[in-house]
Amino acid sequence: MKPAVIIDLNSGNLLSLENALNRDGQAVCRIQKPSAYDFRGDEILVLPGQGRFAFISERMDVLGWRSFLSDWLNQGGHLVGICVGMQILFEGSDEDPEAPGLGYFSGRCQHLKHPKTPMVGWAKLDSYKLNMKDQYAYFVNSYGVPDCDASTAKVTYGQPFCAAVQKGRVYGFQFHPEKSGRFGRELLQHVCQ
Amino acid sequence: MFVNKHNSDLTARIIPCLDVAAGRVVKGTNFKQLVDMGDPVTLAKKYERQGADELVFLDIKASVDKQPSALAMVRDVAMNLSIPFAVGGGIKTMDDVHRFFHAGADKVTLNTMAVAQPELINQIATQYGSQSIVVAIDVNREANGDLAVYTHGGSQRSALDYRLWLQEVVDRGAGEILLTAMHKDGTGSGFDCDLLADFGPDYPIQVIASGGANKPEDFYDAIKAGADAVLAAGIFHRDEYTVADIKEYLIIKNIHMRTIL
Repeated sequence: MKPAVIIDLNSGNLLSLENALNRDGQAVCRIQKPSAYDFRGDEILVLPGQGRFAFISERMDVLGWRSFLSDWLNQGGHLVGICVGMQILFEGSDEDPEAPGLGYFSGRCQHLKHPKTPMVGWAKLDSYKLNMKDQYAYFVNSYGVPDCDASTAKVTYGQPFCAAVQKGRVYGFQFHPEKSGRFGRELLQHVCQ
Repeated sequence: MFVNKHNSDLTARIIPCLDVAAGRVVKGTNFKQLVDMGDPVTLAKKYERQGADELVFLDIKASVDKQPSALAMVRDVAMNLSIPFAVGGGIKTMDDVHRFFHAGADKVTLNTMAVAQPELINQIATQYGSQSIVVAIDVNREANGDLAVYTHGGSQRSALDYRLWLQEVVDRGAGEILLTAMHKDGTGSGFDCDLLADFGPDYPIQVIASGGANKPEDFYDAIKAGADAVLAAGIFHRDEYTVADIKEYLIIKNIHMRTIL
């Protein structure tokens, strides 16, 4: 089984994610810089993120991930982005308009058009994918990407937005699969195969 | 009746609350006579299986036995739970907050310290995001009808004006408010729906109602009045109802609930 490498941008709690990935004996490690791991190219990179878009964007540069990930994505590498880790795969966010995203998916994050933010809690996924269809996922976000041709699941909070995106082996989840009960754990393990 | 004003797929949350002392779940009406209710992980998993949307752990003796047991418990829970959980009790500094997050907590709950040192709310919101900070407000309707804010587990009346304090908490970046109506707590007469109705559909953050849940109808009334989530303890710990029982009732009443497939 391919090892999962968690990108640790020092954005807080990684224990749940690590634990969710660890379940069926998958090798999991966390690293801060690309140079800290001897990549073979068959790893699954997991990019979690919480906090501000600009913080993640800045960490990308400081720790050397931006150019590494651009190459990784161009070469068809396997990657799973979660929450702000999904948002950073887009071009940018209205949260911090100056901070660049990785631009792998086209589109920008916008502030959700609902008076109560952050959105906190569970919402049923509108998805054509059998492993997500009608499942409840746990969301914690104030920003979202309204639409994207790579969208695989949507939910509505003030407006519809992308709950999940996928292009090839690059997956993004706006919700937290590691906090979404058994469904989320199974989904995470599925996309990390 | 605000529930459907804005388009939202979000479900109302049911949140069991567990009181913890020295790493065990306890119950008791005061600090002296604590009855051991069991192991936090075992109980947490039980509620997760019942369909709890989130859990809150309050370390009621944190200031007495310091934090090692609380941190070990948080780590243990984080390793075994796959739904979010908040921890509160004994958080005094940003260092405490860092420790809890690194041990695997998703959110921290501040009550007394939010009042004593409101700057902590800003600091947590800035570093970890608003979603990671829940401010608990214990409000009591005094004999003269005034609404007073209490701290120290409901034992000390503060000088705060309730409505100004709500506004300040929001302005400082709290992600959610956990509102306990002390005059309803433990009475079994339901939540204070008038207090909940004050928030309205355009209130800028979510409100978790707490205090007084005794039967499924109380949950329904709180959500209808405007609560985004409902927290309860005794009704679940005494096995009067499971979380699933409550949800089943609410679904029949057309409240949107998360179910486990």
